[in-house]
Amino acid sequence: MDRQQEFVLRTLEERDIRFIRLWFTDVLGTLKSVAIAPAELEGAFAEGIGFDGSAIEGFTRVYEADMLAKPDPSTFQVLPWRGERPGTGRMFCDILLPDGSPSLSDSRQVLQRTLARAADMGFTMYTHPEVEFFLLEDGKGDPTPVDQGGYFDHVHNGTGHDFRRQAIQMLEAVGISVEFSHHEGAPGQNEIDLRYADALSTADNIMTFRTIVKEVALEQGVYATFMPKVFADHPGSGMHTHISLFEGDKNAFYEAGAPYQLSTTARQFMAGLLHHGREFTAVTNQWVNSYKRLWGGGEAPAHLTWGHNNRSAMIRVPMYKPGKSQSTRVEVRTLDSACNPYLAYAVLLAAGLKGIEEGYELPPETEDDVWSLSDGERRAMGIKPLPASLSEATELMENSDLVAETLGEQIFDFFLRNKRREWEDYRHQVTPFELQRLLPRL
Amino acid sequence: MALRPSSAPARLVRLGFIESERAERLLRDPQILALGVTESGSADALTDALAETADPDLALVTLVRLLEAAEADPEADVSGLRAALCGDPISRDRLVGLLGASSALGDHLVTHPRHWRAVVDARWLSTRERIEALVAAVTGRDPATADPTPDDALRVAYRQQMVGIVALDVTAPDPVALLPTVAAALADLAQAALEAATTLAIAEIGDADQYRFAVIGMGKSGGRELNYVSDVDVIFVAEPAEGADEESALATATKVASRMMQACSASTPAGSLWPVDAALRPEGKQGPLVRTVASHRHYYERWAKTWEFQALLKARPMAGDADLGRAYLQAVQPMVWEAASREHFVEDVQAMRRRVEEHVPSAEAKRQLKLGPGGLRDVEFSVQLLQLVHGRSDETLRSRTTLEALTALAAGGYVGRDDAAVLDKAYRLLRTLEHRIQLHRMRRTHLMPTATGDLRRLGRALGYRADPATEVARRRESEAREVRQIHEKLFYRPLLASVARLTPGEARLSPEAARSRLAALGFADPAGAMRHLEALTSGLSRTAAIQRQILPVLLGWFAEEAAPDDGLLAFRQVSDALGSTPWYLKMLRDEGRAAEILSRSLAQSWLVSNLLVATPTAAQILGEPHGLEPKPRAQILQRMRAAATRKEDPDEAIAAARGTRRRELFRIGVADLQDGLGLARVGEALTDVAAALVQTGLEVATRAAETRLGEPLGIDLLVVGMGRFGGGELGYSSDLDVLFVHRAHAGVDEATAQARATEVITELRRLLGTPGADPPVGLDADLRPEGKAGPITRSLESYRTYYERWSATWEAQALLRATPVAGDEQLAADFLELIDPVRWPADGIDETQLREVRRLKARMEAERMPRGADRKTHFKLGQGGLSDVEWTIQLLQLQHAHEIPGLRTTSTLGALQAATATGLVTSDDAQALREAWELASETRNAGMLFRGRPVDSVPADVRTADAVGRIVGLPAGSGQELANLYRRKARHARQVVDRLFYGDVERN
Repeated sequence: MDRQQEFVLRTLEERDIRFIRLWFTDVLGTLKSVAIAPAELEGAFAEGIGFDGSAIEGFTRVYEADMLAKPDPSTFQVLPWRGERPGTGRMFCDILLPDGSPSLSDSRQVLQRTLARAADMGFTMYTHPEVEFFLLEDGKGDPTPVDQGGYFDHVHNGTGHDFRRQAIQMLEAVGISVEFSHHEGAPGQNEIDLRYADALSTADNIMTFRTIVKEVALEQGVYATFMPKVFADHPGSGMHTHISLFEGDKNAFYEAGAPYQLSTTARQFMAGLLHHGREFTAVTNQWVNSYKRLWGGGEAPAHLTWGHNNRSAMIRVPMYKPGKSQSTRVEVRTLDSACNPYLAYAVLLAAGLKGIEEGYELPPETEDDVWSLSDGERRAMGIKPLPASLSEATELMENSDLVAETLGEQIFDFFLRNKRREWEDYRHQVTPFELQRLLPRL
Repeated sequence: MALRPSSAPARLVRLGFIESERAERLLRDPQILALGVTESGSADALTDALAETADPDLALVTLVRLLEAAEADPEADVSGLRAALCGDPISRDRLVGLLGASSALGDHLVTHPRHWRAVVDARWLSTRERIEALVAAVTGRDPATADPTPDDALRVAYRQQMVGIVALDVTAPDPVALLPTVAAALADLAQAALEAATTLAIAEIGDADQYRFAVIGMGKSGGRELNYVSDVDVIFVAEPAEGADEESALATATKVASRMMQACSASTPAGSLWPVDAALRPEGKQGPLVRTVASHRHYYERWAKTWEFQALLKARPMAGDADLGRAYLQAVQPMVWEAASREHFVEDVQAMRRRVEEHVPSAEAKRQLKLGPGGLRDVEFSVQLLQLVHGRSDETLRSRTTLEALTALAAGGYVGRDDAAVLDKAYRLLRTLEHRIQLHRMRRTHLMPTATGDLRRLGRALGYRADPATEVARRRESEAREVRQIHEKLFYRPLLASVARLTPGEARLSPEAARSRLAALGFADPAGAMRHLEALTSGLSRTAAIQRQILPVLLGWFAEEAAPDDGLLAFRQVSDALGSTPWYLKMLRDEGRAAEILSRSLAQSWLVSNLLVATPTAAQILGEPHGLEPKPRAQILQRMRAAATRKEDPDEAIAAARGTRRRELFRIGVADLQDGLGLARVGEALTDVAAALVQTGLEVATRAAETRLGEPLGIDLLVVGMGRFGGGELGYSSDLDVLFVHRAHAGVDEATAQARATEVITELRRLLGTPGADPPVGLDADLRPEGKAGPITRSLESYRTYYERWSATWEAQALLRATPVAGDEQLAADFLELIDPVRWPADGIDETQLREVRRLKARMEAERMPRGADRKTHFKLGQGGLSDVEWTIQLLQLQHAHEIPGLRTTSTLGALQAATATGLVTSDDAQALREAWELASETRNAGMLFRGRPVDSVPADVRTADAVGRIVGLPAGSGQELANLYRRKARHARQVVDRLFYGDVERN
C-alpha cells in the first residue's frame, strides 16, 4: 500500500497535479466528490477529510453529522479529461466515523464487508459487467438517439463510433481495461464490457466508467444516459454481470464433467440467487423506470429462471469453452446500468453465499424462451416472476432479512424509505398515456 | 565388577527411579557394566548422577541406547564417551542431565552419537562463534557429495549447538537465575541459523551483486529472549545494489527470503528448525514479503497501527547485510517512540489489552503459562506498553528485552522497585517452566502438564525432590498470583507513588509521566484524575493510608469501564463524605468483591454514582451478606414508614422515606450492573420501591390532612398502578401511571369525601414530585376517566357509573394493567371486581372496537412521536418499539381474555406467554415481540443508568452508545452495533405487529 502511496505522491509532483478529487458513493449510487489540494493529501491519508455527512443522501442523522472520507491510495488515477492542465487526480474513499470506525452507511463498506464474509468462507468474487447506455442528441425533452444503428452495426461516421473510441482511450488511461465495445440493439445504444476484476475494483470501475462516459459525451456535444428504459419500443440498458467465485487461484464454479462444467458450489450459488431474487430486485433494479426494462419483453429477464444460453432467463450459463476452466461463470441479467454497483454486488454475493451455506437445490433449467410460455405453463413449471414494479419490489425487500443483514439496518431503512417516496411521487403523475387514452373517452 | 546389593529396587526408588526393576536390569546391561569395569565405584557414582536428573528412568534407558549407538558408529569414539561418563563428573552430569531432561534431544544423540562431545565440551559461545559454525555447516561441504543436503546439514549443526545449551542449562545450580542467559543463547543460535540459511539461499538464487538483503528479528528473537521451541518472527528488507533495477532486485530478494524461510522451517529427514513467521511485516500476510527501507518507512509513517509499533520495539538486525539492517533500524525506530502520541493510541491500547486478556479455552485456562490475564504475554505486553508511553522522553527505557526493560523501568521510578523485583522473579520462573516443558519433547507448548509423571519431571528439573509434582504446581500457583496483579503493580501503584510518597528514597514517577500514563489507560482528563488521587491519598490519616493501598487496584477497575474519570470523581466524593467511617474503610480493605463492585459501578453509571453521593451510607449494603438482593416490598415499606414516622413535618417525612428509596435504587442499580439481575427482576424491584413510596406518601399526606382537620378523614383511598407500574415492569426512568379511587365511610357525604380525597391526593403528588437528591416521582393520572378533563379522583360508585355508561375501548385497554399499589385493601378488592368485566369483556371486542383500537394506535404513531425523534429507534413509540409490542399483546387480551384465563394478567410478557401457549401467537412471532420489547426496555434502563437522565432512543453519540452497549452486555466498542442490533430486532417485531395488530393490512 505504501508503494501506492509513494506512487501517488510522486505522480502529483511529476504530472503537476493541482487537485485531487476524493470520490465516494451515496446510497443511491450517485458519485460524490470533494476536491482537495495536494498539500492536504498527507492529512487525508493519515486522518481523512472531515465533511458533514447529514448533507449526503443516505448518510443519515446524527451519527454521520461528522464523517471522514479516507482515500484509498490503491485507487489513485489521473483523470484524463481533455485539456485539463494542470491535471486532476482522483481516489475512492472509505467513509469513517470520527472515532475511525468504518461507517455503516458507506455502500463501499457494505460490499467490503460482504466480500470479507466470502473470504471467511474461502471465496473471492470476480465480476465482469457489460454496461449498456444510450447516446442522445441532448438530455432534455423528447429523447432523440444519435444514430439509427442496430446490434453490432458499424455506423459510418457515427458519433457513437468516435465516442466509443475516445471513451475507451480514456478508460484505458485510468487503468480500466475494456474487453469489448459495440453498437447495441437499439438506435443510439452502446455497450462497453469491462474486463474481469475482483468485485470491489469492478464496482469502483463502474463508478468511474459512468463518469467518463458522461464526460466524453459532453465533449462530443451529445448526451449519455444510463437510464434503464429510454424508449418504450426499444430494449433498455442492462448491466449483465458475469460472476465467478475463486478459491485461491482455482475457479470454484468449475467442475470437470459436471453438467455445463458447473460445480456444486456454482449450482448452489445460482440457487441462492433464484431463491432470494425477488427480495433483492429493489437493489439491483432500483428505479421506477427499471421495471419498464425488466418487463419490456425481448431479452429482458422478468422471471426467476436459469438456462444455458437462454437469453430470457435471469441467470444465463454461458457456453463452456474447452480448456477454459478458469472462465466458468454465470451471467446475471437482471441488473441495470443505473444501480449502485456496491450494493447490487453485495446482495448478489450474499444471496449466492446463502445458497452455498444452506446447500440450496437448484431448480431445473428452463430451455424455452420464458416470454413465449403462457402464464399457466409458467405456473405449472414453478417459474416465479420478478416484482412487477418498484412498489412490489420494496415490499418484498422489506421482509428480507438477507438484504437487511447485508446492507446493514441503517442503509436498509433509508433505502426503503427513499424508494417508497419515489414510488409515491411516481404514482402522483398523470401520464401522457392516461391523457391520450382516457381523456378522449371519459 | 558387579553392582552392590544396595542397588536393589528399594534403593533405586529412594533415589528417584520409578520403574526400579527395569532400572536395575538396565544398570546391569553390558553397556553400563562396560563402564563399571573401567573404574571401580563409578557405577554407583553414575547411579547417583542419574538420580540427580529430572527423569532418572529416561536418562538411564537413553544412556544405554546412546552407548549402543556409539559403539556401532566408528566415528563416535565410544571409548572417549565411556571415559567421559566415568571420569570428569561435570561431563557425566551434563550427559545424563540432558538425557533426563529431553527425550527428543536424547533421540538426537542416539541418531548422531558423535555429538556427545558437544554436550561434554559445552560452553557459552559468542554470537560470532555460533554463526561461524552454522555457516560453515552449509558452505563448507564437499559439493561432490549430495548427502547430506545443506538443509539437513544446517539442522544437524543446529542441534549440535542446541545440546550444548541444554547441557549447560540442565546442570545449572539455579536454572531460574540462568534463564536470561539461556534465552539469549537460544536467540543467538536462531540468529546463526538465519544467517546460515540466508547464506545458503543467496548462494542458490544467485545474482548476489544485484541486491542487498537483511533479516530483521522481531518478537522474542528480536528481544534476544527466545524459547526453546518457538516461531521465529522476522521482517525482510532489501535494496537494489547500485545501478540495479529495483523491481528485479526485489523480486530476487523475495526469492532469497522464501528460500531462506524454507531452509529453516521445511521438514526434511533431519526434521525442521522452527517456522519462520514473517506475518509482522507491513500489511501482514497480504503485503509483499520484502520491501525497501523507504517502503518500510512510508508504511509506518502512513499506515501502521499502534500494535505494529509495539512490535517494532523488538526489531533487531539478525542476518544478511548488517549495514542495511542498521539503515532499516535508523529509519523506523524513531517512530516507535512517537507512537504514544498518535491518534487513537489509547483506544488501540485498550483493544490490544483486551486481545491479550481474551479468554483462553476454559479447559486450558488454569494450565496456561502464556496467554490470559497474568500470563507471560501479559507481562511482556504490559512492559512494552510502559516503554511506549514513557520511552518517548526517557531513552533509558528503550531495551528490547523484557527483563532489562523491567529493570530500567524500576530504576527510573516508573515501576516500584519491589514490585519490579517480584515480577522479575515470577517471570523468570514461569519462563523456566515453559522451557522445561518444551525441552522434554522439543514441542511448542505453553501448558502446564497434567500427568503426574510430567509434573514430577518438571518439579525435579527445578530441584524439588520430596514431592516434586505437588511442589512445582504450588510454586507456579504462587508466582502466577503475583503476576495476576500485574496491572496494579505496573500501571497503577506508581501513579500513587507519584502523588504520595510511599517508599522514601525511591525514584518516583514524574507528574508529566503520570499524566501520560493515565491518558494511555483511558482517563480522559488526566490532570483532574491526578488531583483526585492527590486528595484521596495525601495526609497521614488512616483513610489516606488505606486508600493508598487500595487505589491501584481500584484504578484498574475504573479504567476497564466506560467512564473512568467519572468513577474516580464519584469515589472521591463518597470517600470525602464517609471519611474515616470504620465500616467503609474495612469494607474497602477487606472485602475485595465489595470494592470491585463499588468501583466498577461508579465508572459505569452516573445514576448509581449520584445516588451514592447523595446517600453515601448506602455503600454499606455492598458489605452485607445478600446486600445485592432486592428487598421485599413489605420490608421496604416498613423502613420507609419508620423513617417517615419519625418526622412531624410532611416534607421532612417524605424526604426521609426518599432516603430509603435512594438506598434501594442504589441496591437495584448495582445488582443490575454487577450481578446481572435481569430485566424482569429489575422491573419487579423498582415497582416494589415505587409502591412502598406511594403507600408511605399516602399515609403521610393523610396524616397531614387529619392533623389539619382535627378529625379522621372518613374516607378510604386507593392508588391503582397503571401501565408499567401496574404491570410490575418499571424502568429506572418510568413515570408512575396511576388512578385514584376513594370511598366515603358511612355518614360522610359525597361532596366532602371528594374534597378531602382531592386534598390528600394533591398533597401526595406534591410531596413525591418535589425535586430532591433522588429522581423525583411523577404521578401521572392521565389514564383516568375523561383524561385530563376528569376529576383527579373518583369514588368507586362514580367509576362504576362511568364504566357502565361511557367507557371507551382505550380505557378498557388501559385497565388491562391496573393493579392496586397502595391504600385500602377492601377498596382494592372491590375496585378489581368492578373493572374485571370491563377489561376482560365477556365476548371479546367487536369489529368496531377493533377498528377503534387500531385507529387510535395509528394516530398515536403519527402524532405522539417527539419532534426530531427517529421512528426506527425510539424505544417507546418507534416502529417495533415498546408500545407496538404492548398494544399487540393488549389487543389479544381484549379479544381473548374471557376464554383464556392466562391472558388475565397485568404482565406484558406473562400475557405473551399465555398467548403463545394457547397458539394465538406462533413461537417465532412471540420471540420477535419479546426480544424487541426486552432490548428496548434494557437499553432504556441502561441509558438511564449510564447518563442519569432518560434516554428515549438508541443513543446517537458514539461514546454513549458504547457505554450503554456495554451495560446491555455487548463487548466494548460496539456503539454502532447496538444501533444495528436494535433496528433489526425492532424491524422483526414490527413485521409481527403489522400482521397481528393491524391484521396484515396491505400497504398501498
